[in-house]
Amino acid sequence: MGARLELENVSHRYGGDAPALEDLSLAVEPGELVALLGPSGCGKTTALKIIAGLLRPSSGDVRVGGRSVVGTAPERREAAMVFQKPLLFPHMSVARNVGFGLRMRKAPRKESESKVHEALRRVRMEGFADRAPEELSGGQQQRVALARALVTDPRLLLLDEPFSALDASLREEMRGLVLRLQREGGHTTVFVTHDQEEAVVLADRIALVFDGRLQMYEEPEAFYDRPATREVARFFGATNFIEGRAGNGSVRTPLGNLRLASAAPPGDVTLTIRPEAVRLEAGENSFDALITSAAYLGTQVHYGLETSGKSLRVALPPHVRLAVGNEVTARLPAESLWALRA
Amino acid sequence: MDGAVGKGSRLPDAVLVVVAALVALPFVPLVLWAFAGEWRFPDLLPTAWSLRGMGYLFEPGGGVPGAAFNSLIIGVATAAASVAVGLPAGMAIGGYEWRFKGVVIFFILLPILVPPLASTMGVHVTFIRLGLADTLPGVFLVHLVPTVPYTALILAGVFAERTGELEEAARTLGASAWQAFLRVTLPGVLPGVAVAGLFAFLISWGQYVLTLLIGGGNVVTLPMLLFSAASGNDPVITSALALAFAVPAVLALVLALRVLKPGGRADLIGPGKV
Amino acid sequence: MGGRVKIALLLAPAVGVIGVLFAGGLGAAFVQSLGYMPAIGMNEWSLDAYRQVLSDGDFLDSLALTLYVSGVSTGLSTVLAVLAALALRRSGGRVSAVVFQLPITIPHLVAAVGIALVVAQTGLGARLAAALGLIGEPGDFPALLYDRYSVGIILTYVWKEVPFIALVVLASLRGVASELEEVARTLGAGAWQRFWYVVFPVISPSVVAASLLVFAFTFGAFEVPYLLGKSYPTMLPVMAYDEYREIDLAARPGAMAINVLIALITGAVAALYLRLAGDLGRRRG
Repeated sequence: MGARLELENVSHRYGGDAPALEDLSLAVEPGELVALLGPSGCGKTTALKIIAGLLRPSSGDVRVGGRSVVGTAPERREAAMVFQKPLLFPHMSVARNVGFGLRMRKAPRKESESKVHEALRRVRMEGFADRAPEELSGGQQQRVALARALVTDPRLLLLDEPFSALDASLREEMRGLVLRLQREGGHTTVFVTHDQEEAVVLADRIALVFDGRLQMYEEPEAFYDRPATREVARFFGATNFIEGRAGNGSVRTPLGNLRLASAAPPGDVTLTIRPEAVRLEAGENSFDALITSAAYLGTQVHYGLETSGKSLRVALPPHVRLAVGNEVTARLPAESLWALRA
Repeated sequence: MDGAVGKGSRLPDAVLVVVAALVALPFVPLVLWAFAGEWRFPDLLPTAWSLRGMGYLFEPGGGVPGAAFNSLIIGVATAAASVAVGLPAGMAIGGYEWRFKGVVIFFILLPILVPPLASTMGVHVTFIRLGLADTLPGVFLVHLVPTVPYTALILAGVFAERTGELEEAARTLGASAWQAFLRVTLPGVLPGVAVAGLFAFLISWGQYVLTLLIGGGNVVTLPMLLFSAASGNDPVITSALALAFAVPAVLALVLALRVLKPGGRADLIGPGKV
Repeated sequence: MGGRVKIALLLAPAVGVIGVLFAGGLGAAFVQSLGYMPAIGMNEWSLDAYRQVLSDGDFLDSLALTLYVSGVSTGLSTVLAVLAALALRRSGGRVSAVVFQLPITIPHLVAAVGIALVVAQTGLGARLAAALGLIGEPGDFPALLYDRYSVGIILTYVWKEVPFIALVVLASLRGVASELEEVARTLGAGAWQRFWYVVFPVISPSVVAASLLVFAFTFGAFEVPYLLGKSYPTMLPVMAYDEYREIDLAARPGAMAINVLIALITGAVAALYLRLAGDLGRRRG
């Protein structure tokens, strides 16, 4: 079973540059899988290396199982890491690679052998024990790297964009594998990625990081339904933002008074609604609009709507075909509207 | 190395200082002697200074300017010819795939790996018969043996990094194959050509034994003067000559480091072909 | 223009230059070593020169000396270069690049002269020893030039070749070796374990390749032993040169035979190097 991981006010700066990481605090529960998500260069790999001990934070504390590990060498943290590249040791066979961590701990040979065998079986590479790494494909190498990290039963499993070099179909298969292995082993896992879809599929919770700062740390649904800021909403594909002023249980906007199912903070707010939540029907929160553009995307059609000088985007199933220039009635369902502090 | 990866100990800096001191050590007596007037045995520093060594270097009838000129002429000619010969070969090796490439690379590498003493003594008789022995052109020709492999392989590396996409883009924009080469390829490989040329110059500049064998003492270059001075007993003259011989090499290094990223192809540059 | 014709034309100048001046020269040397020199009336092919050379005590002494000097120079250079590279791997790339590039650029003759002025019995080293009261007069300082142990030659080679090997080692340490080391750390390997199980095996092929190059070079190089070596026995290239300079042309086949033997030995080392380098290239690719 994995250990609880806590980061407290962790900051890091390289040389005199702007901090790569600023005041990051988050806790990962035992057995939880957390995705550190953000655009490249946002500091997420820095955070992972600090957890592994490969970097020392400029300030702040890292605790594993309640104990501070800031002064502990990486090799004594039991935090196994899988990197972007497989980085198999080129001079060792697949089995020797997987058994590396056990040999470093001087585990008894018999026990090691059966653990290595078991780990290779779990990543479905049991026939490859005696191969050289260079004989394997990229996906196979990354599976071996995964087995190599898991075989020591680490307290923390750290994954740094491990599938970014693989092609799309293989990536999907590997996600399934990681999810299954993580659930079986109960490893506390931190997974770095820049791909929001990957984060949503894998993670129990997502920590979204921009410019070295934590923006939001919640379950995946929350990033769609209750984004913390406009930037968070935009990163998760929200495109509709409507300025307004809250009061008396509704929000006054250029589109009229809109009612929200959730509470809006008083004062100036920005409402957001996902394109696929907008309905073309009459009812509460509805208004007339003009269709100004249409883009066929295969599984969806995106329409641009315009009303009272505001543009909105609507995503509809591909069988609904409307012509540019038509008038329609659009409705923003109260349960899909979310208010951000302006 | 006990804690997490820390701020780094002082050890590397101390080692760097020691290494730099050892690298600099042979230059200490060279520089001191070159300007020494009197420097008797137990004294740590010269007791009198003089410009005798420098005067010898620039003495009009003294042979040094002439020898430096010979070294320069041979070096520049060797560099130019090596690049001219190495460029097409580098293009073939780096830019195209073909059969027996490994064999050809091996063949071109051989003069770097096998000392050129044997081959030079072998061609000597022919050079005598052709009237090339004891002449500047003859020395220039044998200097091509150690330099062409370097220019060819450095330029092969340069061409190997080019994907050919820029040339393809130029062709789709209406450039002929020749125009694409002239306007796109050549400007792109120019830094590599400069580095290869500098290298060839350095190797030629440092040659002693090839010049000795083919020049037969009639073609006097700086290393010939340095060698005879070093076999004699005047450390002032020897040191002055050694500096005159080394300084252009160091200047060439500074130039090369500006053009070439350090560390690139260090494996090819080989143990002191200079 | 056909592809094959184009390649052939592109290669022709370089292959021509090396073919005529190097391969042709080696061939001529080989023919002369077999005693065939019609220009001076020697028309018989024979292996006499080889038989004579190989049974000659002088040659065997020279061979032993050459193996000793190359072997010790290569071994010392390799060990020092690996240690220096390990110590300097994390320090500024630019500074160490310049420090190491400098000796590579300095001609061997200059290095030999500089080293000689340091280690001679009246050199900088002896003066320092005198200043520290360790010796009284030059004769008290150990003879390190023209000496039995070829110390001056070896020191010159070490000074020149350590930086070369160190640059090769640094390149591979800063490349994949450092990433693999991080992996090993997260898998629980301590400092010594990381060196022994990961860093050393990963860098050793390029270290061996660089050492082979140094060995081949020092085995066949002429200048430094010609300047700093004693007069008997001489290193093989010097011996070949001396024989070649003999007025008596009958010595010519013997000189050429020594040359061919040097070329064979360095060629064999070179072939080993190329095999290793090829393996390295494939592994990287």
